[in-house]
Amino acid sequence: MPRILGSALVGAALSAAGVAYQGIFKNPMADPYVLGVSAGAAVGASLAIVLGIGLTLFGVNTLPILAFAASLATVFTVYNISRVGSRVPVTTLLLSGIAVSIFLSAIVAVLQFIAGKKLQTIVFWLMGSFSDVQWKDVWAVLPLISIGTLIIYFYARDLNILSLGEETAQNLGVDVEKVKKLLLIFGSLVTAAAVSISGLIGFIGLMIPHITRIIIGPDHRILLPTSIIVGASFLVICDAVARVIVSAAELPVGIITALSGGPFLIYLLRKKKESYAM
Amino acid sequence: MTVLTVDGIDCYYGSVKVLENMRFSVKGRDFVGVLGPNGSGKTTLLRSISRTLKPHRGAILLNDVDVYTLKSVEAAKQMAVVPQESATAFNFTALDIVLMGRNPHLSRFQMESQKDIAIARSAMELTNTRHLAERPVNELSGGEKQRVIIARALAQQPKVLLLDEPTVHLDINNQLEIMDLLKELCTKKRLIVLAVFHDFNLAARYCDSAILLNDGKIISVGDLNAVLTSENIRKAFQVDTVVKKHPITNSLYIIPISMPKPSSPRKLSVHLICGAGTGTTLMKILTEEGYNVTAGVLNVLDTDYETAQVLKIPVTSEAPFSPITKETHNANLEMMRKASAVVITAVPFGHANLRNLEAAKETLEKGIPTYVIEEAPFEQRDFTKGKAEKHLTDLKSKGAIIVKNPNELLPLLNISQDKLNVTKEFSTRISGHLKPETNSYEGD
Repeated sequence: MPRILGSALVGAALSAAGVAYQGIFKNPMADPYVLGVSAGAAVGASLAIVLGIGLTLFGVNTLPILAFAASLATVFTVYNISRVGSRVPVTTLLLSGIAVSIFLSAIVAVLQFIAGKKLQTIVFWLMGSFSDVQWKDVWAVLPLISIGTLIIYFYARDLNILSLGEETAQNLGVDVEKVKKLLLIFGSLVTAAAVSISGLIGFIGLMIPHITRIIIGPDHRILLPTSIIVGASFLVICDAVARVIVSAAELPVGIITALSGGPFLIYLLRKKKESYAM
Repeated sequence: MTVLTVDGIDCYYGSVKVLENMRFSVKGRDFVGVLGPNGSGKTTLLRSISRTLKPHRGAILLNDVDVYTLKSVEAAKQMAVVPQESATAFNFTALDIVLMGRNPHLSRFQMESQKDIAIARSAMELTNTRHLAERPVNELSGGEKQRVIIARALAQQPKVLLLDEPTVHLDINNQLEIMDLLKELCTKKRLIVLAVFHDFNLAARYCDSAILLNDGKIISVGDLNAVLTSENIRKAFQVDTVVKKHPITNSLYIIPISMPKPSSPRKLSVHLICGAGTGTTLMKILTEEGYNVTAGVLNVLDTDYETAQVLKIPVTSEAPFSPITKETHNANLEMMRKASAVVITAVPFGHANLRNLEAAKETLEKGIPTYVIEEAPFEQRDFTKGKAEKHLTDLKSKGAIIVKNPNELLPLLNISQDKLNVTKEFSTRISGHLKPETNSYEGD
């Protein structure tokens, strides 16, 4: 049960953040990980595994906390690198996110190199899995994710308008820099929370918003809640499949999401080729 | 009434100053055209007013409130912008886009009400886009999209409408429709409309006032007739123009004249006896060929007189519609004596300009070669009951060279063949000045 709820929460969080980021960046390649959340979490988690800080400290699992803290620290760094005065140009944000991620990936590689027997644990975490999710993890991230997505939802109309470009959005009464900042903060927060309990599950945050948009259209006020439901259900199903598809072992759920979601997105893109414009 | 004041602003892109000490004020019902060459700061001015580029110095006041102190939402209720390019990342329908114009009027947790939808629809009605409401905006043509964006701006119910080249993607029909609409909004809803235009004539026909920019500075601002003078336009664009009142629309119209650089200057000078447009083509060709051209006597306001003004050709002139006085005649003779040749075009002769033929006779006697272009039969353009014709006969007997048309004349003056083609289409126009009863041409 905690596992099902956990996967639903993670699916919802990644989808919501994906919708928000694709809206802010106006870039179809944007996903919740573009600002380095994943790379930061990977460093945090790998560090926790390699150092083996008991895995529990004062009765709390340290790995998710370290992953969470490291991912937020990364986003904070990326944000501040890109900041010009009070403005944050999205192109700079995107590029510095990529740069920092590459740098952190190298650190993860170093950690993997010196990990010895713990290498398998790191690799497994990086692929993402819900096998270790417990009730206390769920209770820890539930408020973060629900409050975060709710706040993103409040700005759904602004996301619509932001897709017209920042200058136009400004002229239509959107306080662009403030909205961008809020969405980036809460998008990163829910992503970091999700990643801290599940590891890096790829593709959901990129794909679910696209799939949902093709089906129900670009209005974020409908797109966001629908994506959350679709993302949550999709990840629950993927996790169930991951548990049963190979007998006696468990496949990392990230493999299932990519294996099933990829072809489905391609199918939709082909089918709606003319009308879908990102 | 709304008053928008731009109070001495300086704007910079980085360290480059793009607007300097710009100062003007407009009020409701003003339809203001912002004109100027590329890079003169038109778009920058609009961006600065729309709170995108904060001036380093000075302020932009809307009803005495600095717009940069307003919240985005407050500003968007009063000012709407139609940008030059409108990109949309997602495929919203036209109605979705127009409804976004209602954003400043909605609180965070509010959905659009029936009232908002009604406002959006009536804005689409005004811009003639209602039938496009359910169409994805990315599938619309440039003109349709532009009209949807204007509808979005109207849905904001602003007091100030800023448009950056609103008609640039539109065909002539759509251009006029949009301009009519803007004019109507201006007068009926007392909006301030401030729009960047590249087309002088479109601006001249609709705007009440204009701001002419060059290099980030105002060349001229105020009433359209005062701003759009050929002198101001030359200052801004370095282009010579003829500015006139159009007889039908009663608005100014502006015709640019390309100023070719003179080819190798010649020492020879030619004096033209012309009028009523018969000398215009010759003036242009001879000037281009490097001749020193003079003309006279011409009445002020005559077509040839105006051409001479534009081409900076020295002219002896007489007051409009007046006969040549003795003084002017003498001044003309003075001018003619310096010429190496005199050309008499196929101008009609009346009592008013008869003295020009007498002058030609006098200079011919002094040995200055004289050419007479007999493009149209002389009897058709003699309004002096034979007096002019007698002068002509005298000229002929004294050795004036008769040519049938400018094409025959130009080789005699050593002018290259390709220039001659220009004159061919021109010769038909002369028929307009002939006596109606004997006019066998189909004049245009």
